[in-house]
Amino acid sequence: MEILSFEETKKLLTKYKIPHCETEIFNFEDKALAFAKKIGFPVVLKIHSRTIFHKSEIGGVKANIKDEKEFSEAWNQINESTKGRNIEGILVQEMLSGKEIAMGMKRDEQFGPVLMFGLGGIFIEVLKDVSFRIAPINKTEATKMIKEIDGYKILEGYRTGEDVNISKIADILVSLSKMSTKEEYIIGMDLNPVIVNKDYAKLADFRIII
Amino acid sequence: MAILKALENIFDPKSVAIVGASEEKGTVGFGLASNLAKESKKRNIYFVNPFDKKIFGEQTYNKLTDIKEKIDLVIIAVPAKIVLQIIKDCIAKKVRGVIIVSSGFGELGEEGKKRENEIVKLLQTAKIPLVGPNCLGILNSKTGLNASFAPISPLKGNIAFLSQSGALLNSLMDAMNAQGIGFSKLVSYGNEADLNLSDFLLYLKDDKDTKVICLYVEAIKDGRKFMEIAKEVTAKKPIIVIKSGRSSAGQKAAATHTGSIAGDYQIYEAAFKQSGVILVETLEDLFDSAKALLMQPRCQNGIGIVTNGGGAGVLAVDYCDLEKITLPDIAEKDIDKIDKRGILGAVAIKRNPLDLIGDALPNRYNVGIDAFLSQEKINGLIIIETTQIMTEPLENAKIIIEMKKKYPKKPIVCCFLGGELVRDAIKLLESNNIPNYSDLRRAVRSIKNLIKNEHE
Repeated sequence: MEILSFEETKKLLTKYKIPHCETEIFNFEDKALAFAKKIGFPVVLKIHSRTIFHKSEIGGVKANIKDEKEFSEAWNQINESTKGRNIEGILVQEMLSGKEIAMGMKRDEQFGPVLMFGLGGIFIEVLKDVSFRIAPINKTEATKMIKEIDGYKILEGYRTGEDVNISKIADILVSLSKMSTKEEYIIGMDLNPVIVNKDYAKLADFRIII
Repeated sequence: MAILKALENIFDPKSVAIVGASEEKGTVGFGLASNLAKESKKRNIYFVNPFDKKIFGEQTYNKLTDIKEKIDLVIIAVPAKIVLQIIKDCIAKKVRGVIIVSSGFGELGEEGKKRENEIVKLLQTAKIPLVGPNCLGILNSKTGLNASFAPISPLKGNIAFLSQSGALLNSLMDAMNAQGIGFSKLVSYGNEADLNLSDFLLYLKDDKDTKVICLYVEAIKDGRKFMEIAKEVTAKKPIIVIKSGRSSAGQKAAATHTGSIAGDYQIYEAAFKQSGVILVETLEDLFDSAKALLMQPRCQNGIGIVTNGGGAGVLAVDYCDLEKITLPDIAEKDIDKIDKRGILGAVAIKRNPLDLIGDALPNRYNVGIDAFLSQEKINGLIIIETTQIMTEPLENAKIIIEMKKKYPKKPIVCCFLGGELVRDAIKLLESNNIPNYSDLRRAVRSIKNLIKNEHE
């Protein structure tokens, strides 16, 4: 069991038209910085490894990097704290703003691919406010899946008045359904967080387990 | 389909042999022999036991192949180690079905699994279907077949019960007998080494005697096939399931978040939902809902409550909220349109829930129920009766029966609260196919399971 390489993962996301944040993988700081400037600050730096499942716990993630100076510091810190580990490279990603949601897939021995949807952070870890469906699902089913969680009101803009684009979330769930049905070698997926706002839903962190 | 034909032979065999039949009370062999002997006029019964010359005064056979006549069904209740030889005899005898009640197979680990596989391979090659091993057997109340070692026989009825646990099946049969609820078919399917849950479901889909199917499930083999067949079946008749193993859900550490969050139970929950199967939490709910589904039509969400007790009404509202049952608002003027003579008068609180007030006489129930069931947005009704000094339970029951005739498409469940005072009324209601529950929560849950979910 390992994490799919960054390039392969990106290829799959493109194949199944799953929108994600601007992101590239680098091994050299100058090229990475050039990309960061191209997509614009603030950016996120994080490692990609085929074997490290909890990258933030080992200091492999730095968020909200606002300028060149912070970029350089973060780059060095990540390299320092992950020294000696088997790392494919460091990702430079655009910072997205919106509400955090999470999606995933688990291939069950009896039922095949099981899709999961929930709000990000404590909602998923502490409250376990998630919904499940066995793939394949269509958009109607995906929409029901989204509306089923207790925290749905938050997506509707409870108190904040900022609702999010449910249709775009449902599109991603349907794409995940297609991908997990067709690509049978994938045993699991974690898309967490997916950032969603009025206009879009984009993956900010993703890993595919093979 | 071959499998359906095969099951027909198992549920209605013309001749049955019991290998391991016994006269010794309290044994499995005795249970099987005495249950089958009860209906011996309907089919030929053969006892196989090399040690006893006679069982219940009937001649026994040393082995299956000593029987000259044709055998449809063989039930095996001998130690696991000698089952293989019996299976070879079954094949030589060209029997049409086998039930192995003996344990000591797949459920016992490696060695048992090997033994099980060997037997299944032989039987499948010979195209002889197998129920079990490690099961209680099967019962068919229509044909009077009790091919099990259950200590009792069920009443005739229209509920089929498929259970992964034999012990549970025994107790529930006893409990339902006491309630007067009957079964069409009961199957303890054991290890599912050959015939599995999906095969039995497919058979029950077209079984005229079965109107509702109840399941007790620990784990399902081939979940995707189950979903496919369950979808087919629930399009024709309801399936209600109780699934054990909830607490261990999600305890296993997994590499993905989704893996650790998606416990077994949640996956089953999703699978049931997507295939239109009704999942309940308690055995009481299982048969409460079966009773409701048997007696009443299904409906869309939108339920009315009519009560003569304010407190009971509020409890029902609370439970409806928990079960996500919507209680549509009913305007006073819409109630008045039906209540032309002003029978509800000024006393009743004219909304949903409709409180007829404690001193309600049957005529108030009559108008109140009529007023609610005539509303387009009311799709089903919970009728509550508390027993006050002036309450007339039997008359109220008669009114409900008449109203049910007037609105046959809208389900009614009752909660006549009480004991001795309401006993006859409840009897009358239920003999007219209107279910009554002794608690509001049970009534609410039962009507909830009459409401079609979005997958049906």
